[in-house]
Amino acid sequence: MFQFKWLWHNLKGDRARYIIALCLSVIGSSLTIINPYIGQRIVDTFIAGSDAAQNLRDERGLLIALGLGMIGFSLLRTGLSYFTTLLYERASQNMLYRVRIFLYNKIQGQDMKYYDRNRTGDLMTKMTGDLDMVRHSLAWIIKTIIESLTVFVAAVVYFFFIDAELTLWLLILSPPIFIVAFIFARRVRPMYVDLRERLSQLNTITQENIAGNRVVKAFAREEFEINKFTDKSVNYSEANKKAALVWLDYFPYLEIFSQGFTVILLISGGLLVMDGRITFGEFSAFSALIWGLSNPMRSIGIIINDIQRFFASVTKIMEVYYASPEIANHHNAAVKRRYQGRIQFDNVTFKYDGVTVLENINFKIEPGETIAIMGATGSGKTTLINLIPRFYDAAKGRVLVDGTDVRKLELDELRGNIGVATQDVLLFSDTIDGNIAYGNPDMPEEDVVKFARLAAAHNFIEKMPEGYNTIVGERGVGLSGGQKQRIALARALAVQPPILILDDTTSAVDLETEEHIQKSLRELDFACTKIIIAQRVSTTAEADRIIILENGRIIEEGTHAELLAKRGYYYEVFKLQNEGIGREVNAHGEK
Amino acid sequence: MARNKFDIDENLETPFNIKHFRRALVYIKKQQKPMIIAFILSALSAGIALSAPLIIQHVVDVTIPEKDKSGLIFWSVMTLLTIVASVILATIRSRIMTRVGQDIIFDIRTDLFKHLQELPFQYYDDRPQGKILIRVVNYVNSVSDVLSNGIINFILEILNLLFIAIFMFAVDAKLSLVILAGLPVFMCVILLIKTRQRRAWQNVSNKSSNLNAYTQESISGIRVTQIFTREKHNEGLFTRLSTNYRNAWMRTMYLNFLIPFSVDNLASIVTTAIYFVGLLALGPEEVTFGVILAMSSYAARFWQPILNISNLYNSFINAVAYLERIFETLDEPVTVSDVPKAKELPPIKGHVAFNDVTFAYDPGHNILENLSFNVKAGESVALVGPTGAGKTTVVNLISRFYNITGGEITIDGHDIAQVKLKSLRSQMGIMLQDSFIFSGTIMDNIRYGRLDATEEEIIAAAKTVCADDFIREFEHGYMTEVNERGSKLSQGQRQLISFARTLLADPRILILDEATSSIDAKTERLLQKGLNELLKGRTSFIIAHRLSTVKNCDKIMYVADKGIAEAGSHDELMAQRGRYYKLYSAQKMEAL
Repeated sequence: MFQFKWLWHNLKGDRARYIIALCLSVIGSSLTIINPYIGQRIVDTFIAGSDAAQNLRDERGLLIALGLGMIGFSLLRTGLSYFTTLLYERASQNMLYRVRIFLYNKIQGQDMKYYDRNRTGDLMTKMTGDLDMVRHSLAWIIKTIIESLTVFVAAVVYFFFIDAELTLWLLILSPPIFIVAFIFARRVRPMYVDLRERLSQLNTITQENIAGNRVVKAFAREEFEINKFTDKSVNYSEANKKAALVWLDYFPYLEIFSQGFTVILLISGGLLVMDGRITFGEFSAFSALIWGLSNPMRSIGIIINDIQRFFASVTKIMEVYYASPEIANHHNAAVKRRYQGRIQFDNVTFKYDGVTVLENINFKIEPGETIAIMGATGSGKTTLINLIPRFYDAAKGRVLVDGTDVRKLELDELRGNIGVATQDVLLFSDTIDGNIAYGNPDMPEEDVVKFARLAAAHNFIEKMPEGYNTIVGERGVGLSGGQKQRIALARALAVQPPILILDDTTSAVDLETEEHIQKSLRELDFACTKIIIAQRVSTTAEADRIIILENGRIIEEGTHAELLAKRGYYYEVFKLQNEGIGREVNAHGEK
Repeated sequence: MARNKFDIDENLETPFNIKHFRRALVYIKKQQKPMIIAFILSALSAGIALSAPLIIQHVVDVTIPEKDKSGLIFWSVMTLLTIVASVILATIRSRIMTRVGQDIIFDIRTDLFKHLQELPFQYYDDRPQGKILIRVVNYVNSVSDVLSNGIINFILEILNLLFIAIFMFAVDAKLSLVILAGLPVFMCVILLIKTRQRRAWQNVSNKSSNLNAYTQESISGIRVTQIFTREKHNEGLFTRLSTNYRNAWMRTMYLNFLIPFSVDNLASIVTTAIYFVGLLALGPEEVTFGVILAMSSYAARFWQPILNISNLYNSFINAVAYLERIFETLDEPVTVSDVPKAKELPPIKGHVAFNDVTFAYDPGHNILENLSFNVKAGESVALVGPTGAGKTTVVNLISRFYNITGGEITIDGHDIAQVKLKSLRSQMGIMLQDSFIFSGTIMDNIRYGRLDATEEEIIAAAKTVCADDFIREFEHGYMTEVNERGSKLSQGQRQLISFARTLLADPRILILDEATSSIDAKTERLLQKGLNELLKGRTSFIIAHRLSTVKNCDKIMYVADKGIAEAGSHDELMAQRGRYYKLYSAQKMEAL
């Protein structure tokens, strides 16, 4: 029942509304009994009764009153039901709205480890299908339970007043219905868990196909993709059928038992009438309202079915709802200080999945310095810079910014002081202006242009049909690699951070442009510590210091000249890049 | 450039019309047989269910007054039998229809996905991914019930209505007209709200699409969001989208529930009218009490199917908002496709020629104009030039990712527009700037290049691109699970994996678009060694900014000003002292 408690918790703000809706449901369901009753009165008094003709002559007023009363009650009941349904819809939508935003924030707040483990398609399933199931539980399941229960209880109470014995005979059918429903629930539950998982897989396959559509086309893998998709689609479809067929295994019993109320009434009621235990009128009263017992019983199956689906979905949602990231941003930095930009790695070791990625890293960067990091693919460069804004935490040692361990700093403040242009350029489906101003959405257009100029992006942006208002696709599709990188750079510069991290940001930029960018970086009008990851000596040459990483350790450190003199890794790279790869390969081959 | 972003509603090209309806029927027609059987079963089940009240009537009127106990038991058993029979028939119908409903949406989903595979880059570039995703998964799911059970129930209810109407008229025509008098009122209600309801549901589909797009983007862009501490601002945007969705939804609900509300009231007004007209206006002289009694029960029975139909109508109008989006996607033109009677492209030798090629993404904005060049089989060509000059465009045209606006591109003399796309692309190896990694093992990701490759071949390819070492360092080696965004792989490692993937495909023409930009110089050198072997005898196009990479190519083309500004070998271009010379010298200078 924890799931329902959870619902109740999230209903905060709409609890009163929801309870009113439940009460109105009870009233409304009771009213469903009244109209047939009035109809019956009219028939008894004016049509079927022994003194009907007499009544019709003398009591026209009563007839009109009853008729109008019928319309009035109908208006009242349907109006009430309209109002009640909207209350349910409103309350459930509000809850959906709150949970959705809560989940969104939760997802936004998860650390990188979480994202390494969870597929986009699965998170999307949670945010769509699963959430809708939760809404459905409030808007429909609970409502139906209450309404069925009201009708059932009202009918039972009414019947008890007429005849207790007959009522007990009728109730004989309830236990088997409950037992069948219980068995059904136990059997169907894992199926919905499975069904949900397959929906998530279908979502994942489709999402990756869309995201990777260029690769699919480049390899002419359309058929392969279609087969892969069809496989998941069949799986999902089969699971759907399987769950539905299990329901249909139990449906006949539930349905026959529910409709069996009529049969029991016929036999036991008939016998009681014959024995003179009850009157014919009492028997008629029973048969007029027997639907009050059978209809709620018929709903049980569907309710159970939906509750199981709800459980399957809500479990998945709670995973996110209660997930607590190891690195959490509490967003409670009241005043955000501007850092000086001093960075220190104090004996830092970092492990990922048990593999040591960084080992005993020690270095210091003074405010305003420019540090270049170079190293082989997979040597840990990106990991190293990821530790500064705390995308991950070090396993051993400390990362200090302005002398304070980053784990003791407010994340909002820390990250707000760092501008990063990532290697894998992620742009958003927004205008170029919106992308550059990502860190500060209120930035005036002149500033956006200014930073675009600094990043050597202004010229090509201006040439676009709609300039800064051009919408770029998700991940910047439609732009060349170099263009994307420059927009990402402008975006990082635009927050004017005291710490600027450029992760191989100019790899796809031509040299002339890169020169321009380096000049801008030298002449920034704000104080800034720069950490630049690069593969090109041309990029690193002017740094105050260069750090060379190999297998997670620092193997060389010093200025361009110092490292060249050392004749180590850096020197080799320098040689390679200047003498041309072809010749080097030949030379290598001749050795 | 993209046309749509997360907070822009998509305009519907053609709203739902009779043509769409016919298309929906195509899917339904495939299930004709089981649907007819299901329909017959339902009719039988309903017919049998009708006999129960008759039996009960008999018991009440005859058996009980006669105190016929054995008769009572007999008839009770009969009632039970009719219930059992009708429930069993209904169950069989549901079993059939479960399959039918699933099969219909399976077919739609498959067609939709197949069509999406044929759509050009442009389609994907134009809109957020989440908006495509929601159509394939959520929208299709939403129409299942309407297209299967909805149709059968609709026909059943109509038949039901007709039968009741016939019985009704047989009993008393005048009072039947009273019952029917409610219908025009009901029609007016429907007409009044129909357009609004349509618009409201379209709005819901738009808003949920926007919300989906933004959610998806937020997930894939999470790193950027966190580093820019934009969480609060994004929450605001997301809240706005959620509010829009909630408002859109509530609007449909206000309208939707008006329908059962009016049907219910009309039913009770009509029933009352029967009593008034029958008892007060006409009186016992004209209609007997029995007739009034019968007609009042017919009134209730007549309006029940109408209530059911109007509920079906509600779900139909909801489904239409999704169906029109699905069909819109299916109607999206496939701009790059096989021409009729396209030939298979024979094994490529590698002679590539551009003759007067002109190309524009948007009409009027030519990217390339009258571009002509010739590449002999086995030559390696480097494309250099400023970013955004169109280097990637040139190589994209060779694989016919876009149709050219003018001129002709030939491979070994075959116009690539005249050959089957698959035969063309499967012989090309393209390594893109963006190295996409699918979720799965590293092994599977490399195997994507050639599906029937053995493990040895995969490992050999990985070794060639120097990826073997780092892959083996993972605990599970080649079986390590990786995914789209995860940080298990560095950018350079991703490039190496996608490089191995390309090599495995053993392409006749190799295209490397900034393939090694994130790879360090030392690895690149090792890589180059293996690559040189591979490039032998294959035509290759290489886009790179590091001139050291391109220098050794047979031919270098400097792409600028909508065409090729300079072309020739490194030495030739250096001798020309033109733009390449300037670029090269700058790089040398810079490095020294």
